[in-house]
Amino acid sequence: MSNRTLPRLLQTPAVVLLLFWMLIPLSMTLYFSFIRYVLNSLRRPEWTKPSLSNWRGFGNYEFVLNNKDFLLAIQNSLLIVCSILFFTVIFGILIAVLINKSFPGQGIVRVLLISPFFVMPAVNAVLWINMILDPVLGLQGLAVNGLNEVIQALREAPLIGWFFSLWPELTPISFRATQTSAIAVIIMVTWQWTPFAVLIFMTSLQSEDQQQKEAAILDGAGAWSQFRFLTLPHLGRPIAIVVMIQAIFHLSLYAEIEIVSRGNGNKNLPYLIGEFANNNIGAASATGIFAVILANIVAFFLLRMIGKTLME
Amino acid sequence: MAIVAQHSRFSKIAWPVLAWIVGLLFFFPIFWMVLTSFKTDADAVKPEYLFFFTPTLENYANMTENYDYWRFATNSVIVSVFATAFTLFVGIPSAYAMAFNPSRSTKDVLMWMLSTKMLPAAGVLYPMTFLTKNILGIFDTHFLVILVLSLINLPIVIWMLFTYFKEIPKDIIEAGKMDGVNTWGEIREILIPLAWGGIASTALLCFIFCWNEAYWTVRLTTTDAATLSKLIEGNRAPEGLFFGRLSAVSTAAVGPIVVLGWFCQKQLVQGLTFGAVK
Repeated sequence: MSNRTLPRLLQTPAVVLLLFWMLIPLSMTLYFSFIRYVLNSLRRPEWTKPSLSNWRGFGNYEFVLNNKDFLLAIQNSLLIVCSILFFTVIFGILIAVLINKSFPGQGIVRVLLISPFFVMPAVNAVLWINMILDPVLGLQGLAVNGLNEVIQALREAPLIGWFFSLWPELTPISFRATQTSAIAVIIMVTWQWTPFAVLIFMTSLQSEDQQQKEAAILDGAGAWSQFRFLTLPHLGRPIAIVVMIQAIFHLSLYAEIEIVSRGNGNKNLPYLIGEFANNNIGAASATGIFAVILANIVAFFLLRMIGKTLME
Repeated sequence: MAIVAQHSRFSKIAWPVLAWIVGLLFFFPIFWMVLTSFKTDADAVKPEYLFFFTPTLENYANMTENYDYWRFATNSVIVSVFATAFTLFVGIPSAYAMAFNPSRSTKDVLMWMLSTKMLPAAGVLYPMTFLTKNILGIFDTHFLVILVLSLINLPIVIWMLFTYFKEIPKDIIEAGKMDGVNTWGEIREILIPLAWGGIASTALLCFIFCWNEAYWTVRLTTTDAATLSKLIEGNRAPEGLFFGRLSAVSTAAVGPIVVLGWFCQKQLVQGLTFGAVK
Protein backbone atom coordinates (compact mmCIF):
# COMPACT_ATOMS: atom_id res chain seq x y z
CA MET A 1 0.00 0.00 0.00
CA SER A 2 3.00 2.26 -0.14
CA ASN A 3 1.74 3.80 -3.39
CA ARG A 4 -1.03 5.32 -1.29
CA THR A 5 1.29 7.16 1.05
CA LEU A 6 2.08 10.08 -1.20
CA PRO A 7 -1.53 10.74 -2.20
CA ARG A 8 -2.51 10.70 1.46
CA LEU A 9 0.29 13.05 2.35
CA LEU A 10 -1.33 15.60 0.04
CA GLN A 11 -3.86 16.49 2.68
CA THR A 12 -1.20 17.38 5.23
CA PRO A 13 -0.71 21.03 4.19
CA ALA A 14 -4.41 21.73 4.72
CA VAL A 15 -4.50 19.80 8.00
CA VAL A 16 -1.35 21.46 9.33
CA LEU A 17 -2.54 24.95 8.38
CA LEU A 18 -5.90 24.43 10.06
CA LEU A 19 -4.27 22.85 13.08
CA PHE A 20 -2.11 25.95 13.54
CA TRP A 21 -5.07 28.20 12.90
CA MET A 22 -6.99 26.39 15.59
CA LEU A 23 -4.34 25.46 18.11
CA ILE A 24 -2.37 28.66 18.51
CA PRO A 25 -5.33 30.89 19.33
CA LEU A 26 -7.06 28.10 21.22
CA SER A 27 -4.12 27.43 23.50
CA MET A 28 -3.70 31.16 24.11
CA THR A 29 -7.41 31.41 24.88
CA LEU A 30 -7.18 28.43 27.22
CA TYR A 31 -4.22 30.00 29.04
CA PHE A 32 -5.89 33.42 29.37
CA SER A 33 -9.06 31.80 30.66
CA PHE A 34 -7.25 30.62 33.78
CA ILE A 35 -5.52 33.87 34.69
CA ARG A 36 -6.61 37.34 35.68
CA TYR A 37 -6.00 39.43 32.59
CA VAL A 38 -7.53 42.82 31.87
CA LEU A 39 -6.49 45.45 29.35
CA ASN A 40 -6.86 48.44 31.63
CA SER A 41 -6.71 48.52 35.38
CA LEU A 42 -5.48 51.47 37.41
CA ARG A 43 -6.00 49.65 40.66
CA ARG A 44 -4.19 46.44 39.74
CA PRO A 45 -1.68 47.25 37.01
CA GLU A 46 -0.07 43.82 37.40
CA TRP A 47 -3.20 42.26 35.86
CA THR A 48 -2.66 44.01 32.56
CA LYS A 49 0.12 41.61 31.54
CA PRO A 50 -0.54 37.91 30.97
CA SER A 51 1.42 36.04 33.60
CA LEU A 52 1.13 32.78 35.50
CA SER A 53 1.43 34.66 38.79
CA ASN A 54 -2.08 35.99 38.15
CA TRP A 55 -3.48 32.46 38.19
CA ARG A 56 -7.20 32.48 38.84
CA GLY A 57 -8.14 28.82 38.41
CA PHE A 58 -11.75 28.45 37.41
CA GLY A 59 -12.55 31.94 38.67
CA ASN A 60 -13.18 33.32 35.17
CA TYR A 61 -15.50 30.43 34.40
CA GLU A 62 -17.44 31.07 37.61
CA PHE A 63 -17.63 34.75 36.78
CA VAL A 64 -19.04 33.99 33.35
CA LEU A 65 -21.51 31.39 34.60
CA ASN A 66 -22.80 33.84 37.20
CA ASN A 67 -23.13 36.60 34.63
CA LYS A 68 -26.79 37.09 33.81
CA ASP A 69 -25.98 37.74 30.15
CA PHE A 70 -24.37 34.35 29.64
CA LEU A 71 -27.47 32.16 29.71
CA LEU A 72 -29.32 34.80 27.72
CA ALA A 73 -26.57 34.74 25.10
CA ILE A 74 -26.76 30.96 24.71
CA GLN A 75 -30.55 31.15 24.46
CA ASN A 76 -30.28 33.92 21.89
CA SER A 77 -27.66 32.05 19.86
CA LEU A 78 -29.92 29.02 19.66
CA LEU A 79 -33.08 31.05 19.04
CA ILE A 80 -31.49 32.98 16.19
CA VAL A 81 -29.85 29.96 14.55
CA CYS A 82 -32.91 27.71 14.85
CA SER A 83 -35.34 30.36 13.60
CA ILE A 84 -33.18 31.15 10.60
CA LEU A 85 -32.84 27.46 9.78
CA PHE A 86 -36.58 26.92 10.09
CA PHE A 87 -37.56 29.82 7.84
CA THR A 88 -34.86 29.35 5.21
CA VAL A 89 -35.70 25.65 4.79
CA ILE A 90 -39.46 26.30 4.51
CA PHE A 91 -39.12 29.28 2.17
CA GLY A 92 -36.33 27.53 0.27
CA ILE A 93 -38.46 24.49 -0.51
CA LEU A 94 -41.53 26.53 -1.45
CA ILE A 95 -39.60 28.86 -3.73
CA ALA A 96 -37.55 26.07 -5.30
CA VAL A 97 -40.76 24.20 -6.18
CA LEU A 98 -42.29 27.46 -7.41
CA ILE A 99 -39.52 28.32 -9.85
CA ASN A 100 -38.74 24.76 -10.90
CA LYS A 101 -41.58 24.81 -13.44
CA SER A 102 -40.72 26.64 -16.60
CA PHE A 103 -42.48 29.96 -17.12
CA PRO A 104 -41.74 33.16 -19.03
CA GLY A 105 -38.80 34.99 -17.50
CA GLN A 106 -37.65 32.08 -15.39
CA GLY A 107 -34.01 33.02 -15.85
CA ILE A 108 -34.56 36.61 -14.71
CA VAL A 109 -36.60 35.57 -11.68
CA ARG A 110 -33.81 33.19 -10.75
CA VAL A 111 -31.23 35.97 -10.94
CA LEU A 112 -33.44 38.28 -8.86
CA LEU A 113 -33.96 35.58 -6.27
CA ILE A 114 -30.35 34.63 -5.69
CA SER A 115 -29.03 38.20 -5.56
CA PRO A 116 -29.40 38.65 -1.78
CA PHE A 117 -26.90 35.85 -1.25
CA PHE A 118 -24.11 37.97 -2.76
CA VAL A 119 -24.71 40.97 -0.51
CA MET A 120 -22.16 41.68 2.20
CA PRO A 121 -23.63 40.85 5.63
CA ALA A 122 -22.69 44.29 6.97
CA VAL A 123 -24.47 46.00 4.08
CA ASN A 124 -27.43 43.69 4.56
CA ALA A 125 -27.76 44.75 8.20
CA VAL A 126 -27.25 48.46 7.53
CA LEU A 127 -29.77 48.36 4.70
CA TRP A 128 -32.50 46.55 6.61
CA ILE A 129 -32.25 48.23 9.98
CA ASN A 130 -31.99 51.78 8.63
CA MET A 131 -33.77 52.00 5.33
CA ILE A 132 -36.40 49.32 5.64
CA LEU A 133 -37.22 48.59 9.29
CA ASP A 134 -36.61 52.00 10.85
CA PRO A 135 -39.84 53.07 12.60
CA VAL A 136 -39.59 56.69 11.48
CA LEU A 137 -37.39 57.11 8.41
CA GLY A 138 -37.46 53.59 7.05
CA LEU A 139 -40.04 52.11 4.72
CA GLN A 140 -41.79 50.57 7.68
CA GLY A 141 -42.32 53.98 9.24
CA LEU A 142 -43.44 55.50 5.95
CA ALA A 143 -45.83 52.61 5.29
CA VAL A 144 -47.39 52.80 8.73
CA ASN A 145 -47.78 56.56 8.38
CA GLY A 146 -49.36 56.15 4.98
CA LEU A 147 -51.80 53.52 6.24
CA ASN A 148 -52.78 55.70 9.15
CA GLU A 149 -53.52 58.55 6.78
CA VAL A 150 -55.65 56.31 4.58
CA ILE A 151 -57.59 55.05 7.59
CA GLN A 152 -58.00 58.62 8.80
CA ALA A 153 -59.44 59.62 5.44
CA LEU A 154 -61.75 56.62 5.38
CA ARG A 155 -63.15 57.59 8.76
CA GLU A 156 -64.54 60.76 7.19
CA ALA A 157 -66.20 58.78 4.42
CA PRO A 158 -69.98 58.46 4.47
CA LEU A 159 -71.61 55.09 5.21
CA ILE A 160 -68.43 53.12 5.89
CA GLY A 161 -66.76 55.75 8.08
CA TRP A 162 -68.13 54.30 11.35
CA PHE A 163 -66.45 50.96 10.55
CA PHE A 164 -63.01 52.50 10.16
CA SER A 165 -63.42 54.66 13.21
CA LEU A 166 -63.36 51.41 15.16
CA TRP A 167 -59.83 50.74 13.87
CA PRO A 168 -56.94 51.66 16.13
CA GLU A 169 -54.10 53.92 15.06
CA LEU A 170 -51.16 51.79 13.91
CA THR A 171 -47.81 52.23 15.61
CA PRO A 172 -44.55 51.27 13.92
CA ILE A 173 -42.35 48.67 15.61
CA SER A 174 -38.87 49.67 16.70
CA PHE A 175 -36.57 46.83 15.76
CA ARG A 176 -33.68 48.18 17.77
CA ALA A 177 -35.50 47.52 21.04
CA THR A 178 -34.55 44.75 23.41
CA GLN A 179 -37.41 42.41 22.58
CA THR A 180 -37.48 42.91 18.83
CA SER A 181 -33.86 43.17 17.74
CA ALA A 182 -33.45 39.40 17.49
CA ILE A 183 -36.43 39.39 15.13
CA ALA A 184 -34.73 41.96 12.92
CA VAL A 185 -31.60 39.81 12.78
CA ILE A 186 -33.68 36.75 11.91
CA ILE A 187 -35.48 38.65 9.14
CA MET A 188 -32.33 39.96 7.48
CA VAL A 189 -30.34 36.73 7.66
CA THR A 190 -33.34 34.74 6.40
CA TRP A 191 -33.55 37.13 3.47
CA GLN A 192 -29.88 36.61 2.71
CA TRP A 193 -29.72 32.83 3.11
CA THR A 194 -33.06 31.74 1.62
CA PRO A 195 -31.46 32.07 -1.85
CA PHE A 196 -28.76 29.64 -0.77
CA ALA A 197 -31.40 27.09 0.25
CA VAL A 198 -33.26 27.74 -3.00
CA LEU A 199 -30.08 27.12 -5.03
CA ILE A 200 -29.42 23.79 -3.36
CA PHE A 201 -33.03 22.60 -3.43
CA MET A 202 -33.44 23.68 -7.04
CA THR A 203 -30.44 21.64 -8.20
CA SER A 204 -31.79 18.71 -6.27
CA LEU A 205 -35.28 19.04 -7.76
CA GLN A 206 -33.82 18.99 -11.24
CA SER A 207 -32.38 15.55 -10.54
CA GLU A 208 -35.75 14.24 -9.39
CA ASP A 209 -36.91 11.07 -11.11
CA GLN A 210 -39.44 12.29 -13.70
CA GLN A 211 -40.60 8.79 -14.68
CA GLN A 212 -41.55 8.09 -11.10
CA LYS A 213 -43.56 11.29 -11.11
CA GLU A 214 -45.35 10.44 -14.33
CA ALA A 215 -46.18 7.02 -12.95
CA ALA A 216 -47.61 8.70 -9.86
CA ILE A 217 -49.73 11.02 -12.01
CA LEU A 218 -51.05 8.04 -13.97
CA ASP A 219 -51.96 6.42 -10.68
CA GLY A 220 -54.02 9.51 -9.92
CA ALA A 221 -51.74 11.10 -7.34
CA GLY A 222 -52.59 14.75 -6.73
CA ALA A 223 -50.07 17.58 -6.59
CA TRP A 224 -49.94 17.45 -2.82
CA SER A 225 -49.30 13.73 -2.51
CA GLN A 226 -46.67 13.96 -5.24
CA PHE A 227 -44.94 16.63 -3.21
CA ARG A 228 -45.41 14.82 0.08
CA PHE A 229 -44.35 11.32 -0.97
CA LEU A 230 -41.90 11.94 -3.81
CA THR A 231 -40.42 15.42 -3.65
CA LEU A 232 -40.03 15.80 0.10
CA PRO A 233 -38.20 12.49 0.67
CA HIS A 234 -35.99 13.37 -2.29
CA LEU A 235 -35.09 16.62 -0.53
CA GLY A 236 -34.01 14.93 2.71
CA ARG A 237 -30.32 15.05 1.98
CA PRO A 238 -30.26 18.62 0.63
CA ILE A 239 -32.17 19.78 3.70
CA ALA A 240 -29.53 18.19 5.92
CA ILE A 241 -26.80 19.98 3.93
CA VAL A 242 -28.54 23.35 4.08
CA VAL A 243 -29.01 22.97 7.84
CA MET A 244 -25.39 22.03 8.34
CA ILE A 245 -23.76 24.78 6.27
CA GLN A 246 -26.01 27.42 7.75
CA ALA A 247 -25.44 26.24 11.31
CA ILE A 248 -21.72 26.61 10.68
CA PHE A 249 -22.13 30.17 9.47
CA HIS A 250 -24.80 31.44 11.84
CA LEU A 251 -23.28 30.19 15.08
CA SER A 252 -20.60 32.84 14.59
CA LEU A 253 -23.01 35.61 13.53
CA TYR A 254 -21.59 38.95 14.60
CA ALA A 255 -21.89 41.93 12.27
CA GLU A 256 -25.68 41.82 12.08
CA ILE A 257 -26.07 41.76 15.85
CA GLU A 258 -23.60 44.58 16.32
CA ILE A 259 -25.23 46.79 13.72
CA VAL A 260 -28.86 46.16 14.69
CA SER A 261 -28.72 46.79 18.39
CA ARG A 262 -25.12 46.86 19.58
CA GLY A 263 -26.07 43.70 21.45
CA ASN A 264 -28.81 45.44 23.39
CA GLY A 265 -30.83 42.52 24.76
CA ASN A 266 -29.81 40.55 21.76
CA LYS A 267 -26.34 39.25 22.48
CA ASN A 268 -25.38 35.92 21.08
CA LEU A 269 -22.31 34.08 22.31
CA PRO A 270 -19.80 35.63 19.87
CA TYR A 271 -21.08 39.10 20.68
CA LEU A 272 -20.83 38.52 24.43
CA ILE A 273 -17.23 37.42 23.94
CA GLY A 274 -16.52 40.55 21.96
CA GLU A 275 -18.03 42.64 24.72
CA PHE A 276 -15.94 41.01 27.42
CA ALA A 277 -12.86 41.33 25.24
CA ASN A 278 -13.12 45.11 25.38
CA ASN A 279 -11.40 44.84 28.72
CA ASN A 280 -11.66 41.54 30.55
CA ILE A 281 -9.63 39.14 28.41
CA GLY A 282 -9.86 36.44 31.08
CA ALA A 283 -13.66 36.39 31.03
CA ALA A 284 -13.76 36.66 27.23
CA SER A 285 -11.44 33.67 26.99
CA ALA A 286 -13.53 31.60 29.41
CA THR A 287 -16.65 32.44 27.37
CA GLY A 288 -14.69 31.49 24.27
CA ILE A 289 -14.00 28.06 25.76
CA PHE A 290 -17.72 27.66 26.47
CA ALA A 291 -18.43 28.61 22.86
CA VAL A 292 -15.94 25.99 21.68
CA ILE A 293 -17.78 23.40 23.76
CA LEU A 294 -21.12 24.52 22.29
CA ALA A 295 -19.68 24.32 18.77
CA ASN A 296 -18.49 20.80 19.45
CA ILE A 297 -21.90 19.72 20.72
CA VAL A 298 -23.52 21.11 17.58
CA ALA A 299 -20.83 19.52 15.42
CA PHE A 300 -21.48 16.18 17.09
CA PHE A 301 -25.18 16.30 16.19
CA LEU A 302 -24.45 17.47 12.66
CA LEU A 303 -21.99 14.65 12.28
CA ARG A 304 -24.60 12.12 13.26
CA MET A 305 -27.09 13.72 10.93
CA ILE A 306 -24.86 14.01 7.92
CA GLY A 307 -21.74 11.95 8.46
CA LYS A 308 -23.33 8.69 7.42
CA THR A 309 -24.37 9.91 4.00
CA LEU A 310 -21.20 11.92 3.52
CA MET A 311 -18.96 8.99 2.68
CA GLU A 312 -21.43 7.07 0.53
CA MET B 1 -61.44 16.37 -17.18
CA ALA B 2 -62.99 19.80 -17.13
CA ILE B 3 -61.71 20.43 -13.65
CA VAL B 4 -58.19 19.44 -14.61
CA ALA B 5 -58.19 21.73 -17.63
CA GLN B 6 -59.50 24.63 -15.60
CA HIS B 7 -56.96 23.99 -12.93
CA SER B 8 -54.08 24.04 -15.38
CA ARG B 9 -55.34 27.21 -17.06
CA PHE B 10 -55.45 28.88 -13.67
CA SER B 11 -51.99 27.69 -12.72
CA LYS B 12 -50.62 28.71 -16.11
CA ILE B 13 -51.25 32.32 -15.15
CA ALA B 14 -51.04 32.24 -11.37
CA TRP B 15 -47.81 30.25 -11.20
CA PRO B 16 -45.59 32.70 -13.15
CA VAL B 17 -47.25 35.68 -11.49
CA LEU B 18 -46.52 34.27 -8.06
CA ALA B 19 -42.95 33.40 -9.03
CA TRP B 20 -42.39 36.94 -10.35
CA ILE B 21 -43.84 38.47 -7.20
CA VAL B 22 -41.57 36.40 -4.99
CA GLY B 23 -38.54 37.22 -7.16
CA LEU B 24 -39.25 40.94 -7.11
CA LEU B 25 -39.91 40.87 -3.38
CA PHE B 26 -36.54 39.30 -2.71
CA PHE B 27 -34.78 41.73 -4.98
CA PHE B 28 -36.60 44.78 -3.66
CA PRO B 29 -34.17 45.68 -0.82
CA ILE B 30 -31.29 45.75 -3.31
CA PHE B 31 -33.32 47.78 -5.78
CA TRP B 32 -34.22 50.16 -2.98
CA MET B 33 -30.59 50.59 -1.99
CA VAL B 34 -29.55 51.38 -5.56
CA LEU B 35 -32.48 53.78 -6.01
CA THR B 36 -31.73 55.61 -2.78
CA SER B 37 -28.09 55.99 -3.75
CA PHE B 38 -29.23 58.43 -6.47
CA LYS B 39 -31.14 60.62 -4.02
CA THR B 40 -29.68 63.42 -1.96
CA ASP B 41 -29.56 62.73 1.77
CA ALA B 42 -32.43 65.17 2.29
CA ASP B 43 -34.65 63.66 -0.39
CA ALA B 44 -33.99 60.10 0.75
CA VAL B 45 -36.18 60.43 3.84
CA LYS B 46 -39.05 62.37 2.27
CA PRO B 47 -42.14 60.27 1.51
CA GLU B 48 -43.06 62.49 -1.46
CA TYR B 49 -39.81 61.55 -3.22
CA LEU B 50 -40.24 57.82 -2.63
CA PHE B 51 -40.11 56.81 -6.29
CA PHE B 52 -40.06 60.09 -8.20
CA PHE B 53 -37.17 62.40 -7.59
CA THR B 54 -34.36 64.19 -9.41
CA PRO B 55 -31.54 61.68 -9.59
CA THR B 56 -28.10 62.86 -8.61
CA LEU B 57 -24.60 61.42 -8.76
CA GLU B 58 -23.52 63.60 -5.85
CA ASN B 59 -23.23 60.65 -3.44
CA TYR B 60 -20.92 58.74 -5.75
CA ALA B 61 -18.78 61.76 -6.49
CA ASN B 62 -18.55 62.45 -2.80
CA MET B 63 -17.60 58.86 -2.11
CA THR B 64 -14.72 58.69 -4.57
CA GLU B 65 -13.44 62.10 -3.49
CA ASN B 66 -13.64 61.75 0.26
CA TYR B 67 -13.41 58.06 0.97
CA ASP B 68 -10.82 56.81 -1.48
CA TYR B 69 -13.21 54.11 -2.73
CA TRP B 70 -10.79 52.79 -5.34
CA ARG B 71 -8.11 51.92 -2.81
CA PHE B 72 -10.57 49.83 -0.77
CA ALA B 73 -11.94 48.23 -3.92
CA THR B 74 -8.46 47.38 -5.21
CA ASN B 75 -7.58 45.81 -1.88
CA SER B 76 -10.79 43.77 -1.95
CA VAL B 77 -9.96 42.46 -5.41
CA ILE B 78 -6.36 41.65 -4.50
CA VAL B 79 -7.06 39.79 -1.27
CA SER B 80 -10.09 37.94 -2.66
CA VAL B 81 -8.25 36.77 -5.77
CA PHE B 82 -5.13 35.64 -3.95
CA ALA B 83 -7.00 34.09 -1.05
CA THR B 84 -9.19 32.12 -3.46
CA ALA B 85 -6.15 30.98 -5.44
CA PHE B 86 -4.25 29.92 -2.35
CA THR B 87 -7.27 28.13 -0.88
CA LEU B 88 -7.68 26.13 -4.07
CA PHE B 89 -3.96 25.44 -4.25
CA VAL B 90 -4.05 23.85 -0.80
CA GLY B 91 -7.58 22.51 -1.05
CA ILE B 92 -7.45 20.61 -4.34
CA PRO B 93 -4.66 18.19 -3.36
CA SER B 94 -6.23 17.71 0.02
CA ALA B 95 -9.69 16.95 -1.37
CA TYR B 96 -8.06 14.68 -3.96
CA ALA B 97 -6.38 12.69 -1.21
CA MET B 98 -9.61 12.39 0.74
CA ALA B 99 -11.78 11.44 -2.22
CA PHE B 100 -9.52 8.90 -3.91
CA ASN B 101 -7.46 7.55 -1.06
CA PRO B 102 -9.78 7.74 1.91
CA SER B 103 -8.74 6.25 5.19
CA ARG B 104 -10.87 5.44 8.18
CA SER B 105 -10.29 8.85 9.66
CA THR B 106 -11.19 10.86 6.55
CA LYS B 107 -14.74 11.54 7.67
CA ASP B 108 -13.56 12.73 11.07
CA VAL B 109 -10.86 14.92 9.56
CA LEU B 110 -13.46 16.57 7.31
CA MET B 111 -15.83 17.14 10.20
CA TRP B 112 -13.04 18.49 12.35
CA MET B 113 -12.12 20.93 9.59
CA LEU B 114 -15.70 22.15 9.38
CA SER B 115 -15.90 22.50 13.15
CA THR B 116 -13.00 24.98 13.07
CA LYS B 117 -15.38 27.30 11.24
CA MET B 118 -17.76 27.30 14.16
CA LEU B 119 -15.23 28.69 16.61
CA PRO B 120 -16.19 32.22 17.59
CA ALA B 121 -13.72 34.61 16.04
CA ALA B 122 -14.25 37.09 18.86
CA GLY B 123 -12.70 34.61 21.27
CA VAL B 124 -9.37 34.61 19.49
CA LEU B 125 -9.38 38.19 18.26
CA TYR B 126 -7.20 39.46 21.06
CA PRO B 127 -4.55 36.71 20.79
CA MET B 128 -4.54 37.15 17.01
CA THR B 129 -4.11 40.92 17.21
CA PHE B 130 -1.38 40.54 19.79
CA LEU B 131 0.41 37.88 17.74
CA THR B 132 0.26 39.67 14.40
CA LYS B 133 0.98 43.15 15.75
CA ASN B 134 3.56 42.63 18.46
CA ILE B 135 5.27 39.37 17.60
CA LEU B 136 5.04 38.77 13.85
CA GLY B 137 4.63 42.37 12.73
CA ILE B 138 2.30 41.48 9.86
CA PHE B 139 -0.74 43.44 11.08
CA ASP B 140 -2.52 45.39 8.32
CA THR B 141 -0.71 43.65 5.46
CA HIS B 142 -2.23 41.99 2.40
CA PHE B 143 -0.34 38.85 3.35
CA LEU B 144 -2.13 38.53 6.68
CA VAL B 145 -5.59 39.19 5.24
CA ILE B 146 -5.01 36.69 2.43
CA LEU B 147 -3.79 34.07 4.89
CA VAL B 148 -6.72 34.54 7.26
CA LEU B 149 -9.31 34.55 4.47
CA SER B 150 -7.77 31.36 3.08
CA LEU B 151 -7.86 29.66 6.44
CA ILE B 152 -11.46 30.49 7.23
CA ASN B 153 -12.64 29.33 3.79
CA LEU B 154 -10.45 26.25 3.51
CA PRO B 155 -12.85 23.87 5.33
CA ILE B 156 -15.84 24.74 3.14
CA VAL B 157 -13.73 24.64 -0.02
CA ILE B 158 -12.24 21.25 0.80
CA TRP B 159 -15.66 19.87 1.58
CA MET B 160 -17.18 21.18 -1.65
CA LEU B 161 -14.30 19.86 -3.75
CA PHE B 162 -14.42 16.54 -1.93
CA THR B 163 -18.08 16.05 -2.85
CA TYR B 164 -17.33 16.75 -6.53
CA PHE B 165 -14.25 14.56 -6.68
CA LYS B 166 -16.11 11.68 -5.09
CA GLU B 167 -18.48 11.62 -8.07
CA ILE B 168 -15.60 10.98 -10.48
CA PRO B 169 -15.17 7.26 -11.15
CA LYS B 170 -12.01 5.97 -9.56
CA ASP B 171 -11.20 3.96 -12.69
CA ILE B 172 -10.45 7.09 -14.66
CA ILE B 173 -7.84 8.16 -12.13
CA GLU B 174 -6.50 4.62 -11.93
CA ALA B 175 -6.16 4.54 -15.71
CA GLY B 176 -3.87 7.52 -15.44
CA LYS B 177 -1.72 5.60 -12.99
CA MET B 178 -1.37 2.76 -15.52
CA ASP B 179 -0.04 5.22 -18.04
CA GLY B 180 2.69 6.06 -15.60
CA VAL B 181 1.43 9.51 -14.71
CA ASN B 182 2.59 10.62 -11.26
CA THR B 183 0.34 12.10 -8.60
CA TRP B 184 0.82 15.71 -9.69
CA GLY B 185 0.14 14.71 -13.26
CA GLU B 186 -3.01 12.96 -12.17
CA ILE B 187 -4.28 16.08 -10.48
CA ARG B 188 -3.23 18.44 -13.22
CA GLU B 189 -4.07 16.43 -16.30
CA ILE B 190 -6.95 14.22 -15.24
CA LEU B 191 -8.67 15.54 -12.14
CA ILE B 192 -8.76 19.27 -12.81
CA PRO B 193 -10.11 19.01 -16.38
CA LEU B 194 -12.72 16.46 -15.27
CA ALA B 195 -13.90 18.42 -12.25
CA TRP B 196 -13.56 21.83 -13.86
CA GLY B 197 -17.22 22.78 -13.32
CA GLY B 198 -17.06 21.91 -9.65
CA ILE B 199 -13.77 23.70 -9.14
CA ALA B 200 -15.10 26.82 -10.85
CA SER B 201 -18.20 27.02 -8.67
CA THR B 202 -16.11 26.36 -5.57
CA ALA B 203 -13.77 29.17 -6.55
CA LEU B 204 -16.72 31.46 -7.14
CA LEU B 205 -18.26 30.74 -3.75
CA CYS B 206 -14.90 31.16 -2.05
CA PHE B 207 -14.42 34.50 -3.82
CA ILE B 208 -17.86 35.67 -2.66
CA PHE B 209 -17.13 34.70 0.94
CA CYS B 210 -13.74 36.44 0.80
CA TRP B 211 -15.23 39.61 -0.62
CA ASN B 212 -17.99 39.72 2.00
CA GLU B 213 -15.94 38.76 5.05
CA ALA B 214 -16.20 41.53 7.58
CA TYR B 215 -14.93 40.34 10.93
CA TRP B 216 -11.22 39.78 10.38
CA THR B 217 -10.82 42.17 7.48
CA VAL B 218 -12.14 45.00 9.65
CA ARG B 219 -10.18 44.11 12.76
CA LEU B 220 -6.82 43.06 11.34
CA THR B 221 -6.38 46.11 9.12
CA THR B 222 -6.16 49.86 9.53
CA THR B 223 -5.35 51.44 6.16
CA ASP B 224 -2.87 49.59 3.94
CA ALA B 225 -4.83 46.37 3.51
CA ALA B 226 -8.30 47.68 4.34
CA THR B 227 -11.04 46.20 2.14
CA LEU B 228 -14.52 47.39 1.22
CA SER B 229 -15.98 45.93 4.41
CA LYS B 230 -13.79 48.39 6.29
CA LEU B 231 -15.24 51.20 4.19
CA ILE B 232 -18.74 50.07 5.17
CA GLU B 233 -17.68 49.82 8.79
CA GLY B 234 -16.53 53.43 8.73
CA ASN B 235 -19.75 54.68 7.14
CA ARG B 236 -22.39 52.76 8.96
CA ALA B 237 -22.49 54.82 12.16
CA PRO B 238 -26.07 55.51 13.25
CA GLU B 239 -26.36 58.72 11.27
CA GLY B 240 -29.90 58.03 10.19
CA LEU B 241 -30.10 61.09 8.02
CA PHE B 242 -27.45 60.06 5.51
CA PHE B 243 -29.37 57.35 3.65
CA GLY B 244 -28.21 58.64 0.28
CA ARG B 245 -24.53 58.50 1.13
CA LEU B 246 -24.91 55.17 2.93
CA SER B 247 -26.69 53.66 -0.07
CA ALA B 248 -24.04 54.85 -2.50
CA VAL B 249 -21.22 53.35 -0.44
CA SER B 250 -23.17 50.13 0.01
CA THR B 251 -24.02 49.89 -3.68
CA ALA B 252 -20.41 50.44 -4.65
CA ALA B 253 -19.29 47.77 -2.17
CA VAL B 254 -21.71 45.02 -3.16
CA GLY B 255 -22.13 46.01 -6.83
CA PRO B 256 -19.09 44.18 -8.24
CA ILE B 257 -19.82 40.92 -6.43
CA VAL B 258 -23.55 40.93 -7.25
CA VAL B 259 -22.82 41.52 -10.94
CA LEU B 260 -20.21 38.77 -10.90
CA GLY B 261 -22.79 36.50 -9.28
CA TRP B 262 -25.30 37.30 -12.02
CA PHE B 263 -22.84 36.40 -14.75
CA CYS B 264 -21.92 33.16 -13.06
CA GLN B 265 -25.37 32.19 -11.82
CA LYS B 266 -25.62 29.25 -14.25
CA GLN B 267 -22.41 27.90 -12.81
CA LEU B 268 -23.73 28.33 -9.29
CA VAL B 269 -27.12 26.80 -10.03
CA GLN B 270 -25.48 23.70 -11.46
CA GLY B 271 -22.52 23.58 -9.18
CA LEU B 272 -23.69 24.46 -5.70
CA THR B 273 -24.74 21.05 -4.45
CA PHE B 274 -22.37 20.17 -1.60
CA GLY B 275 -22.98 16.55 -2.50
CA ALA B 276 -26.72 16.93 -2.05
CA VAL B 277 -27.46 15.57 -5.51
CA LYS B 278 -26.74 11.97 -6.34
